[in-house]
Amino acid sequence: MKISLNRAYAVRDHWSLLASGTFNQGVHLVSGDVGSGKSTLALMMAELFPLSSGRIEKAEITSCMLSLQFPELHLTGRSVAEECTSWGISADDIVVATGLTGRKDASPFSLSRGELKRLHLACIFAKDYDLLLLDEPFSSLDCQEKTKLCTTIEQKSRGITVIFTHEQNILPRVSRIWEILDGKLIDCGRPPDAFLHWCHVPPSVKRLTALGLRPDNISMEDLQEAACRIQG
Amino acid sequence: MQDPRIRIATAAILSISAFISLQGAAFAFFWWLGFTPAVQLVKKIRLVFPLLLTIAFFSLVLELFGGNGLSYFIRMTVIILIGIWLYKEQKPGEFLSISVWLFGDRFGFELGLVSEMGMQSLSLISADFKRIRLAEKIKGMRWGVRSLIPTGMILVHGTLARAQDSAELLAIRGYRSGGTLCPEFLTKPMDVVAGLFAVCVFFTAVIPVSEFFILYR
Repeated sequence: MKISLNRAYAVRDHWSLLASGTFNQGVHLVSGDVGSGKSTLALMMAELFPLSSGRIEKAEITSCMLSLQFPELHLTGRSVAEECTSWGISADDIVVATGLTGRKDASPFSLSRGELKRLHLACIFAKDYDLLLLDEPFSSLDCQEKTKLCTTIEQKSRGITVIFTHEQNILPRVSRIWEILDGKLIDCGRPPDAFLHWCHVPPSVKRLTALGLRPDNISMEDLQEAACRIQG
Repeated sequence: MQDPRIRIATAAILSISAFISLQGAAFAFFWWLGFTPAVQLVKKIRLVFPLLLTIAFFSLVLELFGGNGLSYFIRMTVIILIGIWLYKEQKPGEFLSISVWLFGDRFGFELGLVSEMGMQSLSLISADFKRIRLAEKIKGMRWGVRSLIPTGMILVHGTLARAQDSAELLAIRGYRSGGTLCPEFLTKPMDVVAGLFAVCVFFTAVIPVSEFFILYR
């Protein structure tokens, strides 16, 4: 199972993005500044943004899901229960998992942005997609929820998960790191070697590396393990 | 066209000209072809085609019930083309400048601020609408009448939430009423030429063609 980008080129008014590379099974992190083109790349990979040139090839991928940054744009149900049903899943488990017990009949608009994001992500993770594209999944979530989301992502046993984010602190363990720089997608490689040439490397990873305590990966556990490592 | 005052006045004159007579509509259309990047405008704003279809429908109804549907269709099409040009040329801050220039720092500023916020909302609604269509596509839903209610709810809710945020922000910053602004406008010779041609179009719309050729009688 893989998705290959072969000089996939997309153009918007005064901006363009060139992407090449292969995303194999596992968790991939695509980092970049705000406005660098992460969301556009996610749309390109979901075949929802027309390419000016190049191509994107999918092998053995039968199901694909893209989670947009703003959860309210996904809403189609008039109640929390209807919203869950619109994703093809039962509301009972979702409301318990998201702490929305007793609010099954509430309008999704009465939920806070954070609650809505939790509901949306729970609906997304209730199904097993071959290709899961998560655009800024950590936005609107508090530290506790971000940590929970990292665990959920890490527990996904199969398929390709691509996280498009500028989050710098709480991240899951990933198999490959990418970044968008000056309109180009760059493959930084596998962690920890990727840290050497990753421009958007999180400050905590940078600091630990500078102290000679290079973590194995970017998850909180890896950072703690590196920080507690005894030198010498 | 650089000067928004001339641009808005021109659009108003041309729209009136197109509305009052078929002759005016024809000349306004020629003006639109000559003074705007016509083809690019139509290519960029895809809303042109659904709008034209709506007008075509009403024109057909009018024609079937004894009215002059064809004339209505032509006149309204030209008005829409002029409107699209005006919308596309508009830049942030222009309404505020024009309102202050016209009505002063108190009433003009208020009016301009409301207009600017309205225009900003329009572009945000348009961006949200595109994202909602994508989200529905992702869910495997087909766009149709059933999508209208949730889409409308999201757009209205989003717009109200943003309006509340803006109001709170203005209140926090101590805004009560009015404001100070020194509007500046850049007028290019071509703006004046285009404006004068629009006035000529207006005269052709209000004066019968036969009057032009009176000397030849």
